[in-house]
Amino acid sequence: MKLDSPEIKRIIKERSLYMCLECGKCSASCPRLLTGKEYSPRLLAHKLIAEPGDLAYIQNAVWECLTCGLCEERCPSGVQFSQAILDLRAELSKALGLTGFRAHDGAVHSWMRIMTSPRLEQNRLDWLTPELKVATDGPVAFFTGCVPYFDVFFSNIGVDTLSLSSDAIRLLNFLDIEPVVLGNERCCGHDLLWTGDRDNFAALCRLNYQEFKDHGVEEVITNCPECYQALGTYMPQVIEGFDLKVTLLIDLLEREVNKGGLSFRPLEQKVTYQDPCRLGRGAGRYEEPRNLLKRVPGLELVEMANNRHSAICCGNSSFINCDAFSKRIQAARLDQARDTGAETLVTACPKCMIHTSCALRDPAPGPQAPLKVRGLVSILAEQIEWAQDETPRRKSGAGGGSRGDKI
Amino acid sequence: MARVNILGIACNWSPWCCYNAAGQAGLELPSNFKIMRVMCIGRINQALILRAFEHGADGVILLECEDSDCRYGPGPELGHSNVARVRRLLHYLGIGQKRLKEMTFQADQKQELVDALWEFAGRIEKMGPNPGKPGRERKAS
Repeated sequence: MKLDSPEIKRIIKERSLYMCLECGKCSASCPRLLTGKEYSPRLLAHKLIAEPGDLAYIQNAVWECLTCGLCEERCPSGVQFSQAILDLRAELSKALGLTGFRAHDGAVHSWMRIMTSPRLEQNRLDWLTPELKVATDGPVAFFTGCVPYFDVFFSNIGVDTLSLSSDAIRLLNFLDIEPVVLGNERCCGHDLLWTGDRDNFAALCRLNYQEFKDHGVEEVITNCPECYQALGTYMPQVIEGFDLKVTLLIDLLEREVNKGGLSFRPLEQKVTYQDPCRLGRGAGRYEEPRNLLKRVPGLELVEMANNRHSAICCGNSSFINCDAFSKRIQAARLDQARDTGAETLVTACPKCMIHTSCALRDPAPGPQAPLKVRGLVSILAEQIEWAQDETPRRKSGAGGGSRGDKI
Repeated sequence: MARVNILGIACNWSPWCCYNAAGQAGLELPSNFKIMRVMCIGRINQALILRAFEHGADGVILLECEDSDCRYGPGPELGHSNVARVRRLLHYLGIGQKRLKEMTFQADQKQELVDALWEFAGRIEKMGPNPGKPGRERKAS
């Protein structure tokens, strides 16, 4: 098979691969290449254009990419590299099957595909505690994502991704929003989409959209950057007449906090922040999470050497291609975090939490400073309070008030 | 009654001995039962069990050696921990914990093995097809 089909040519053209100047900035920034993997974005672009017969290299390289977007950030010609990888994976998997190496033996993708079955009735809400106020129908929904599943599957590394959802709901409740949490929401399909399985991604989108509509949802709030991307950017491409508003929880929080009346209890801690790829380079939210953290008195935010636009990926994306090189990326990232002298690594993405927690358990040479991994919302949920002399905005109509009234 | 698929995953040692002996003795097994042999149940991870359900199994039974009989050491313990976690995943998914069973056998328990398989097959028949069953056959992945 030669990769010179009109479809591949279209991808090369649409994603501006012809604009490549072969400057090599992409390869010079690629975390995978920098840790020694034989993979080069520049060479992949070259092969696709000039040597489409080298299927072995291209096929391998297409599945190697982390899709972290760092190369794209630095490319002077505006090559949309991650998008090209996304399209190429879909094309290659159509022609040659899903050949990418899947971490954890593909278990994560398995449960995502199981969720495409329309007859499924999940019991995914078992983790909700009575103190969390949620509704079954209403205009505002909170999208949990796969976190209940992650916590079970990864229970051996003791990661608590559910805290991201429970603390998000706690924050929403605090703002007098009682979100709908759907008992039968499916995975957002991010990982299936990025591993080239567009059919099952579309199936998940349709099921989720139907579920939202059946419960009268107009706005979906999510805390996971990957869910935000899948629901906000890719779901509208699948669903005709898509009319849901997709909101990132930190955007909502920032809006609410800027209105005043809210304050945070002091927390004497030195923290550093890991930019999730889909939140930073994917959605351009670099300052929002930092601004929220800076509002906590006593909390000292110190930056790692690579931060914001040049942040390094947590080593793995969509649960494929986890290998020794991913581990090196993670070890290097943890070293950067420790070098700041921070005691807590804060992140906003469940996958970053899983991968950094996993890497923290690996045996390291010599003594290591202790480092905790925490979700951004968990810190905020714990410290938030109404400013003294300020009455809670209940029924005042401000912010979530009007929505809160209805529920 | 709905036709269901039952997959048995058997350790090569004691349970496989039982299975062979049952075959030699001409004991009848449920016709919708397929068996897969692995060297040790410790080889099975969460992904492989989930994949059986993803590809249309309605019930999965793990046939293991007893903890003290394991030829390799920690096999059955690993099996227990995987099963405990997959059970919770199956519960969340709505497929149900009862579709996954774990049983231990000694090498001479052929009758017990056959009885257990009939009992499990009966239970799954009663429960009907797995709700996560794909509409059409999935390509191997």
